[in-house]
Amino acid sequence: MAKFELVNNIAHKNIKVNTKASAQFGDNVWFALTFPDEFRAIQNQYPIFFQKNSETGQFMPVALMGVKQNENLFLTDDGWDGYIPATIKRHPFAIGHQQQNQGGQTELTRVLTIDMESPRVNETQGEALFLEYGGNSDYLDQMADLMEAIHHGVEKSAHFIETLLGYELIEQFTLDVTLNDGSQNQMLGFYTINEDKLAALSDEQTLNLVKLGYLQAIYFIIASHGNIAELVKRKNKLLGL
Amino acid sequence: MTNAVKQVVIVGGGSAGWLTASILAAEHSVSSLQNPIRITLIESSDIPTIGVGEGTWPSMRDTLQQIGISETTFLNECDASFKQGSKFINWRSSTGDSYFHPFSLPESFNQLNLAEHWLPYKNEVPFDQAVCFQDALCNAQLAPKQISTPEYNFIANYGYHLDAGKFAPLLKSHCTEKLGVMHIDDNVQDVRLTSNGDVASVFTEKHGEITGDLFIDCSGLHSLLIDKALKVPFVSCKEVLFNDRALAVQVPYQHPDDNINSATHSTAVDNGWIWDIGLQSRRGIGHVYSSDFCTKEQAFDALSRYVSDTSNCDINKLTVRELQINPGYREKFWHKNVVAIGMSAGFIEPLEASAIALIELSAKFIRDQFPQNRAVMDVIAKRFNKKFHQRWQQIIDFLKLHYVLSERDDSKYWRAATSTETLSQTLRDKLLLWQYQTPYLYDSFETEELFPAASYQYIYYGLKGKTAFNPSQKWHAEHAKAKALFQQNQQKRNQLQQQLEPNRVLLNKIKQYGLTTI
Repeated sequence: MAKFELVNNIAHKNIKVNTKASAQFGDNVWFALTFPDEFRAIQNQYPIFFQKNSETGQFMPVALMGVKQNENLFLTDDGWDGYIPATIKRHPFAIGHQQQNQGGQTELTRVLTIDMESPRVNETQGEALFLEYGGNSDYLDQMADLMEAIHHGVEKSAHFIETLLGYELIEQFTLDVTLNDGSQNQMLGFYTINEDKLAALSDEQTLNLVKLGYLQAIYFIIASHGNIAELVKRKNKLLGL
Repeated sequence: MTNAVKQVVIVGGGSAGWLTASILAAEHSVSSLQNPIRITLIESSDIPTIGVGEGTWPSMRDTLQQIGISETTFLNECDASFKQGSKFINWRSSTGDSYFHPFSLPESFNQLNLAEHWLPYKNEVPFDQAVCFQDALCNAQLAPKQISTPEYNFIANYGYHLDAGKFAPLLKSHCTEKLGVMHIDDNVQDVRLTSNGDVASVFTEKHGEITGDLFIDCSGLHSLLIDKALKVPFVSCKEVLFNDRALAVQVPYQHPDDNINSATHSTAVDNGWIWDIGLQSRRGIGHVYSSDFCTKEQAFDALSRYVSDTSNCDINKLTVRELQINPGYREKFWHKNVVAIGMSAGFIEPLEASAIALIELSAKFIRDQFPQNRAVMDVIAKRFNKKFHQRWQQIIDFLKLHYVLSERDDSKYWRAATSTETLSQTLRDKLLLWQYQTPYLYDSFETEELFPAASYQYIYYGLKGKTAFNPSQKWHAEHAKAKALFQQNQQKRNQLQQQLEPNRVLLNKIKQYGLTTI
């Protein structure tokens, strides 16, 4: 079970985070949550699709890194081969909420928390959270910035998806992967951009997408599908095909 | 006589009026049509709607989707919940036995008749459990879908339980705001007929005379047009189904987070039966009985016992309403230029929630067979009447089946209810046939059945109706496959119980996140 604590320089004075990418740290995931602000970096390497969150039923964009559960084709013995998605890189940190009293008013503020039960957390190996006299390490500052970026990115992502659904631009999609031995894998539960609907948008709707920066995000998604070939290549190699 | 039909006037609101208006308007009033039909609904806010009929069939999912209401909106605004079928308790004997009539068909129903293959195991496993998984979901109060399942799609087939008092207002705002239906709040005081006996217009208190080409009578028990104006006789079926009263009460949950039943519970008691329908915020409970066999006080006592056995409520602090049921239907539903839909057309005890389903079917018939002019109307009316007479007879037979196979003889009421004296010839034929062969697709083909043959199987075998086991060559050839299907059903039972969440949990999530449309 995860156990989150508010990051602070007294309790966590000696805490280090092992940042090595490895299955033992839970990096053997076949997809990662992403958000439009990150699409530019993601689309270089991974296909982007939408999936439904099983708890809320809401659509979320994901970067695909494998073709079955617990399979990350970019995870090698030497670490992660390429860009690590922000929502993976964030581990073992998370955003927590704390009530703070500001001038007599209670406000909910975001705070940085760390999962003390994560196997990454230790006192000997990896990046220290704090400097010798209690100041934040560069690593900790970077992670705090990353968490903020994820927070705002995911928040904006919700509006992005709402807009796409409003224009009926999301459609169901079955990902068929054929390997070199002829074996076929059908992956269900994916959604993507409906390109026919996209082409049929009115001028006004298209302009709206441009102004919101969403048209670019849409084309990043479409372009990212070229990376399916890379996934298949890696899968063939893994199986020696 | 070849006047074009351009104006439809619906007299009466409620579920019948607004549902009919929605179904017709969604097809015929859209502004993109060259000659849209004008639909006017006259409703008197002085007359309260009866507001029974809190259960629907799965057909309501299609209906709502076709008229363009989002399922999320419907569920949230109508206090609605999911109905996966009915659970009949104490119907066969008074000792606590029960069976389900689920909305899902038996496994692979259209390919293979599992009932035949279940016969040799009938003493080992009840029919509903052997061929279907839905009784398990209902007993665990689970939802028929997940939050990621799109609107109106399902994992297990379902209809709804709803608050009729909230359903009509939702349909009304949808009709007037989105579908271009004109709403007149007024009392109809008089009806003017033409020389050939058609209704030419109705006179209202404040809006004067309103003319129309086709009139739909949704005025409920008042039956302003079909009865008072056109004097179409009423055909009573009290001889066969003699329940003529109901006492209804709304019972709050003990805790707001109490789980919600996935099926209508129908419990047979000494002089009738008690319905129990779980909505999001309350339960609707009612005792249907026959005034020939018990007094209102006796019925109240039975209802009171049920309420105190199943909740912590004192019925004396709740409002109990009495309803009269005049079981039967019109000799003609469509006469001249008037169609009766809803309680003006007929009413029967709500044992299989047929009231709203019949409204949907009637309105869809008119939608699909809309008479272009007066000349063709009589042909369509003739077909409509034939079809709906058949349907009423099927409903009456099907409800009677619930009674006639019961082994109860613990009261005068049950001895009368199980008597075979008043059975129709059609039901007699079926009961004879089913002693030698299981109800199956031939039954449905034969009569264009309203209820699928599967429904007859669930009731017949739920009540332990007997069929001689006489395996044919085909039976032997198929039995291995049937056994695999029984296995498959058991796997589905286990799997779905893991996958699905309780009704309350899903309904709360829908409130928070909504269902997606794709």
